[in-house]
Amino acid sequence: MRRSGAEIALSIGVVALGAGMGAVTATLPSEGGYAGIGPNFIPAIVAAGTILCGLWLAFEAFTGGWRRQEEERRPFERAPFLWISAGLFAQMALIGTAGFVLSGTALFACVARGFGSRRLARDVAVGLFLTVLVFVFFVKLLNVSLPAGWMPLPL
Amino acid sequence: MDALAALIGGFGVALQPANLLWGLIGVTLGTLVGVLPGVGPALTVAMLLPLTAKLDPTGALIMFAGIYYGAMFGGSTSTILLNTPGESASIATALEGNKMARNGRAGPALATSAIGSFVAGSIATVALTLVAPVMVAVALKFGPAEYFALMVFAFITLSAVLGASTVRGLTSLFLGLALGLVGIDSQTGAPRFAFGVPELLDGIDVVVLAVGLFAVGEALYVAAYERTSGSVQKMTGSILMSRADWRRSWPAWLRGTAIGFPFGTIPAGGSEIPTFISYATERKLTRHPEEFGNGAIEGVAGPEAANNAAATGVLVPLLTLGIPTSATAAILLGAFQNYGLQPGPLLFDLQKDLVWGLIASLYVGNVILLILNLPLIGIWVRVLAIPRELLYAGILVFATLGAYSLHQSWVDLATLYVFGLLGFAMRRWSIPVGPAVIGLILGPLAETQFRRALSISQGDALVFLTHPISATLLGLTALLLVVPWLARRLK
Repeated sequence: MRRSGAEIALSIGVVALGAGMGAVTATLPSEGGYAGIGPNFIPAIVAAGTILCGLWLAFEAFTGGWRRQEEERRPFERAPFLWISAGLFAQMALIGTAGFVLSGTALFACVARGFGSRRLARDVAVGLFLTVLVFVFFVKLLNVSLPAGWMPLPL
Repeated sequence: MDALAALIGGFGVALQPANLLWGLIGVTLGTLVGVLPGVGPALTVAMLLPLTAKLDPTGALIMFAGIYYGAMFGGSTSTILLNTPGESASIATALEGNKMARNGRAGPALATSAIGSFVAGSIATVALTLVAPVMVAVALKFGPAEYFALMVFAFITLSAVLGASTVRGLTSLFLGLALGLVGIDSQTGAPRFAFGVPELLDGIDVVVLAVGLFAVGEALYVAAYERTSGSVQKMTGSILMSRADWRRSWPAWLRGTAIGFPFGTIPAGGSEIPTFISYATERKLTRHPEEFGNGAIEGVAGPEAANNAAATGVLVPLLTLGIPTSATAAILLGAFQNYGLQPGPLLFDLQKDLVWGLIASLYVGNVILLILNLPLIGIWVRVLAIPRELLYAGILVFATLGAYSLHQSWVDLATLYVFGLLGFAMRRWSIPVGPAVIGLILGPLAETQFRRALSISQGDALVFLTHPISATLLGLTALLLVVPWLARRLK
């Protein structure tokens, strides 16, 4: 019999999410005018549904594992996963100060590294080219405002 | 012929130079992004949605329809040359199309898919023109109770009935419904699940969820599990189809269209099922059964036509009822909502120019796409030669751009990353992401209709069972849930 710790953890996570929703729902107002139900009615239904799904998943996880899962998969590689995450965090931290172009280039280089690139100079160059192009296109043509940051473009 | 007059008026809108230009930009961008391997129509539409934030609604929606169609055409190119279907609806094409490319027949495969998509798209648009006014007349008879029942029906077919696992589909749906509750309650103004974060009061934007699940989640998954890439098939030989290719293709196009369009109009998840039915049909009817599995042209022509016809069929419930029947349609509905427009019978009345301009632009878009995809196919093939590491890096730059432009806040980027992790986990443990996207968009609408129905009936919950249409739909929903379970029990 196959039993997966991850599946059990995820099932419990879904139950916990539903329970958490239920707890918040209890604080919501319940008065609702003519309908007789308030803003807390549907959240209560959704919370209950989520808990039931979690229990069902847990039942499957304990009785032979989740049904009809794909089994063939290569082993998990941690480094690429972390590089992409690092790139996204770098952008979150930098976009407000360094601006869209530089933070986007940092993201670009990190993701390329995550996918196995060893050519940092090329990645930075391509990233800069792409982000400047996007910046100009969005700001000038489509009127979407993006932060220029440390790299004020002569626009 | 009201529809004809309305359509002529629509062409007047669609052929205005500015709208023609937005349509052209839309189909070009849609093809360009859709051709990228691993990027399906849902992600293409979600990533390009913020582009339209500052345009006028008609121009923006015409551009959007172009992106939607372009993504369909572009998707088949990468499927045929790379054998990495960007979405499940392309799997049938991948079976035969990639085999044809390996046999040096990439040209005819791409041609039959482009012409087939054009034929199917055009016929289906005619069908849409004729069916939409009829559906509008039906929709006018719908009250809140009927709408609510229809939405419940869509929720259950899309999450519990389709797909590998009922419980995982439902889990995804409830996740989406839960996320849809975040923000200010539309009826009373009470904040729900916002935890005092101002960005959350607006609710969770469909762009952030869809891009997080499809782009960030996918990138994390591919990087962690499938870092080594497949090979691109060279475009060798002529793009032209031989006389035999034509003779074998056109009946398949027509059959694919006939299968695809009706499936698109019902809540059956869009194009996935009709493409498989079309593939099975062609396999059964062919005079060259030995070629199936080795690159039979009917196996590309039929499913590709079915795919495009279904994509157009999806617009029938979307425009006339405001009900999305696929994840991509849910994101399109989000585009309408960005402009404060709610598709449905009223939209056909109040925004005649917009709706019929949009429908007319589909005819125009199909013609532009045929031109883009036959003589200019070489450009799109070159897009496939971009190294994967640069491709995913570029996709993530666009993904974060879309999320950031919503509030100019890093909070949206953090939310995006959380949804990326969620998307990774869902992909890893085979939980479908479509129901979550549909739940997020359709959930709040269903809640509104539910409460409205109860307001009208003064709190009497029996209203859903005493209205015949609503009772029928809810009964059907219950049957769909119980019958498969019973059938398994009895076996």
